[in-house]
Amino acid sequence: MNAMLKKEMRLSALILTYLFIGFGAMTLLPGYPILCGVFFITLGIYQSFLSAREANDIVYSALLPVAKRDVVKGKYEFVMLIELGGFALMAILTVLRMTIMADAVAYRANALMNANPFFLGAALFIFGLFNVIFLGGYFRTAYNLGKPFIIYTIAAFLSIGAFEAAHHFPGMQALNAFGSDHIILQITLLLAGAILYFLMTALSYRKACVNFEIIDL
Amino acid sequence: MSIVELKNVCKTYPAFRLKNISFSLEDGKITGFIGRNGAGKTTTIKSMLNLVHTDSGEISYFGMPLIGNEKEIKQRIGYSTGTASWYPRKTIREIVSVTKTFYPAWDEEAYRKYLSLFGIDENKKPIELSEGMKVKFNLLLALSHCAEILILDEPTSGLDPFSRDELLELFKILKDHGVTILFSTHITSDLERCADNIIYISRGEIRADMSRTDFLQTFGRPEESLEEVFLRLEREALS
Repeated sequence: MNAMLKKEMRLSALILTYLFIGFGAMTLLPGYPILCGVFFITLGIYQSFLSAREANDIVYSALLPVAKRDVVKGKYEFVMLIELGGFALMAILTVLRMTIMADAVAYRANALMNANPFFLGAALFIFGLFNVIFLGGYFRTAYNLGKPFIIYTIAAFLSIGAFEAAHHFPGMQALNAFGSDHIILQITLLLAGAILYFLMTALSYRKACVNFEIIDL
Repeated sequence: MSIVELKNVCKTYPAFRLKNISFSLEDGKITGFIGRNGAGKTTTIKSMLNLVHTDSGEISYFGMPLIGNEKEIKQRIGYSTGTASWYPRKTIREIVSVTKTFYPAWDEEAYRKYLSLFGIDENKKPIELSEGMKVKFNLLLALSHCAEILILDEPTSGLDPFSRDELLELFKILKDHGVTILFSTHITSDLERCADNIIYISRGEIRADMSRTDFLQTFGRPEESLEEVFLRLEREALS
């Protein structure tokens, strides 16, 4: 683990952020918009950014013997670590729901989104939105957190609404597949979500490096 | 020999402009950086640390330009401010354990020595430290990674006379150990006690860069103290 990521984890992060990874367990809730778990995980990350701002973390980081882009890299690595930790939890629980719990009545009668690879792809897409809108927005000033988080919140809930509604449209029922039904389509959608996540994060990171280089702290 | 050089550094804000700032710091000397509030001291210092992006000009340390050599240069400098503290709710032990991983030259023995000298309790949090102790904590970090240059932005602001006296004595000891110090302040009486050189900034421009003796001879009147000279120059600039 590099020194900057260690600094993020030990000095900048709140314990709350790690605890909020547990919201990935919302994947098991029947009759609930389970993608909200993604939002809560990012809400935990936001809390760490708020706390770090009050601790003058960004100036402290910039004073360390590192290039400015390393400061940005540390923040992105930390955020990705939390996101992928939450994603791993959601993926494990999704596999449980797709296998040993596939026929549970509570899940079969669920009118909302089912836990399947499409759900995981959608989760990655929302994490990608967080990285583009919130993280990218933060590095435009290195202090303004509220505005990018509000914009992200709106985008996240619009996305959750769209993903939840999608399988109700004619011909799109396969998005809500149970067990291993439509598995090729499901895996394809998961891969699409993963590609979008890494693409959005990489683009956001590159832009953040450029912005952070020229802003005044 | 000068180990820090600024050449024609400019920075424009909507309501303030830093104009062609040029000066150098001599090795092993204490340089006082004086100017009233808003004169441009902090902007200059932040430019020297690449916290502020300058519009033009060059900043170099040890003969190397800051841009492109930031990592190496920051290994060899330390910064302290009297106006900010880091991670107020983490213990000193936690902050130090992370910070030292960035410095290959970290000297644990020196760290223990200064910890004891400054009377800092590792289990305390910055929020529990007095203003003077916060400055000492920043100095502790800088000295433990064997910083050759200390850049101090108003380190004595808000300190009681006794704490200020302690710090000024410490600066003199550090100077004797070959550390170069740039020390910004608007409390000019502090500089009378320890500064070798004076850089005077007013309204974003360097008005003087010379030894303290030369400064008093050039700008002072008989029997005037550094503070009186500074006040008169500022009043003259206003009229």
